[in-house]
Amino acid sequence: MAKWGMVIDLEKCTGCQACSTACAMENNTLPGESWQDVLYYKEGKYPNVNIKWFPRPCMHCENPSCMHVCPTKATYKDENGFVLIDWNKCIGCKYCMIACPYGVRFYTDEKPLIEPDMKKVYPGQDGQQYSPPYQNPNSDWTKGVGIQPKGVVSKCTFCYHKVSKAPAGVADLDEDNPALKEYVPACVRTCAPKARYFGDLDNPDSTVNRLIADKRGVRLLEHTGNKPQVYYLGDHGVVPAFTRPDKS
Amino acid sequence: MSNMSQSVPFPESVSRISNLRIGAGAIGLVLGIFAAIGLLTQGHESFNTNSNISWGLPVATYVFFVLTSTGLTFVASLAMVFGMKDFYPIAKRCIWGAIATLVTGFIALGLEIGNPLRMIWVIPTNMATSSPMWWMGLFYLSYAVFLVWKFLLVNKGDWTSGQSKVIGILSFVTVIFAHATLGSVFGMMGMRPFWYGGMVPVYFLITAALSGLAFIMLFINLDYGMNQANMSDKVRSAMTRYMPPIFGLALGLVLVFTLTRTVTGLWSNVPELNIPMSYIVGTFWYQAEIWIGMVLPLALMLSSYRSNAKVQTLAGLLVILALFIGRYEYVVGGQLVPMFKGAWYDDLLMYAPSMTEWGVVILAAAIGLLLYAFGEKKLSLADAPNE
Repeated sequence: MAKWGMVIDLEKCTGCQACSTACAMENNTLPGESWQDVLYYKEGKYPNVNIKWFPRPCMHCENPSCMHVCPTKATYKDENGFVLIDWNKCIGCKYCMIACPYGVRFYTDEKPLIEPDMKKVYPGQDGQQYSPPYQNPNSDWTKGVGIQPKGVVSKCTFCYHKVSKAPAGVADLDEDNPALKEYVPACVRTCAPKARYFGDLDNPDSTVNRLIADKRGVRLLEHTGNKPQVYYLGDHGVVPAFTRPDKS
Repeated sequence: MSNMSQSVPFPESVSRISNLRIGAGAIGLVLGIFAAIGLLTQGHESFNTNSNISWGLPVATYVFFVLTSTGLTFVASLAMVFGMKDFYPIAKRCIWGAIATLVTGFIALGLEIGNPLRMIWVIPTNMATSSPMWWMGLFYLSYAVFLVWKFLLVNKGDWTSGQSKVIGILSFVTVIFAHATLGSVFGMMGMRPFWYGGMVPVYFLITAALSGLAFIMLFINLDYGMNQANMSDKVRSAMTRYMPPIFGLALGLVLVFTLTRTVTGLWSNVPELNIPMSYIVGTFWYQAEIWIGMVLPLALMLSSYRSNAKVQTLAGLLVILALFIGRYEYVVGGQLVPMFKGAWYDDLLMYAPSMTEWGVVILAAAIGLLLYAFGEKKLSLADAPNE
């Protein structure tokens, strides 16, 4: 049993969005269905402006509110810490999207973000929402892996199709280790400044645990009690409060 | 069983209103089907909801109508559970109205959900008891069963047998739990301060009662041609002596509740509470809700015109509109602050329902209206038990 978690070092992250691109390529997500995204926040007024950014995958929380509210147990937490969606059980009530404090869930039965509409360019086959010519061959609807059918919610799986095949007992999945790189989540593997680390939070010897301890890793929006398994390093790990532009 | 109210002949004004209602229902049905074509051809892409505003007008409509059903059951229960016999003459109408509004609510929800038919097997086979929505489904389904059962008994003339009483009590108890769990669907969401709070079920309780009372004011007066001369003595007594003060009291409570919620929101430092409330208060719809939909009808109910059928009809209609606006503000307002989106959305989210969403509302309401009209024509809704 592992408890997979991620550490993102904000001091190293350049906000380049390579992770978001890699995620979209790996998981064939639609435009706007940003399972992985980099969110930018600005604080202060010119000339004392501070810009922050948070690379944001699903937090795969220890205590996920999305799972608790699901009326069908379609969203569940598996034994290795993944929060997954069973698309065969999802009724599309969208309550999980309401309950996720991190806004990481997507319902793609909506107006296209950009034109042309990919769903019209590559019409869906075999129940898929859309069927692009290249597809990741790994698909498992019981875990929300692959291209989703209509009327269900989708989200980051921590690249379940890769991580779940990693050898048992591994402390960290490091893309620099040739033996393990195929098991590393796409966003971690592609990160050029190596701002992302992925490992077992239950293993005291893992690099992720050492980083969290040594560099005072924090979790976002702790007051919600969801206890993410994604930790942030660096001195700007606090999310600014929401303001309206004309009121700030 | 006696049909004391039916002894009063139906004059022309009654059948004219009845025909108008069927006509309005039929037009609504056609318009609704026309708009629902968007749903059939494009699916939920024809909605303006998205991954940020997940619940829009159809969900607000669902909340509005199922809580109206709750309120109608409260009023029916005054006679059938609490033995207040003065309410018997309107009790059967209330039960049928509760069925019609419940159906309306479920149609709106069913057309909003991604895979509604899948609910039939995944909900009972997975027992997701940690979800407030699961409990809401359980209680509203039980309530629907008891409500229809009670109506069937009453329709056979069985008002007071042991079985009839028990089913009446069960429908009352299940709807108390049903509306409370619906309140919890919103009230338990700590990550959304605009909704959060243990008192939300109470807020829903009071607004549900008002919603049911407003429908009675509108529909029962219309059923009798907005003229109390068409009513039997007992119906007239219920509608002139008892309903106006109860309606006024509920309206006053809801007005206080609405204002305290507003002031709390405006005063609060919490951005997720303060910012959407400040925005909502500045809209025309909020001002209309308070002044035209609550203060004006309350003034009417406090005046000597409160027994006048036309005044009651107007007050009922205005309160219904205000409550509908209120449900929409509540459901959508809780989602206006973007959830962890940074500068991608650096202002409140914007949402206006699409034509298809309005079509869903019109379709659901038209079916409810026709269902009520059918009952009014065919099911002797004026029946009451023998004394």
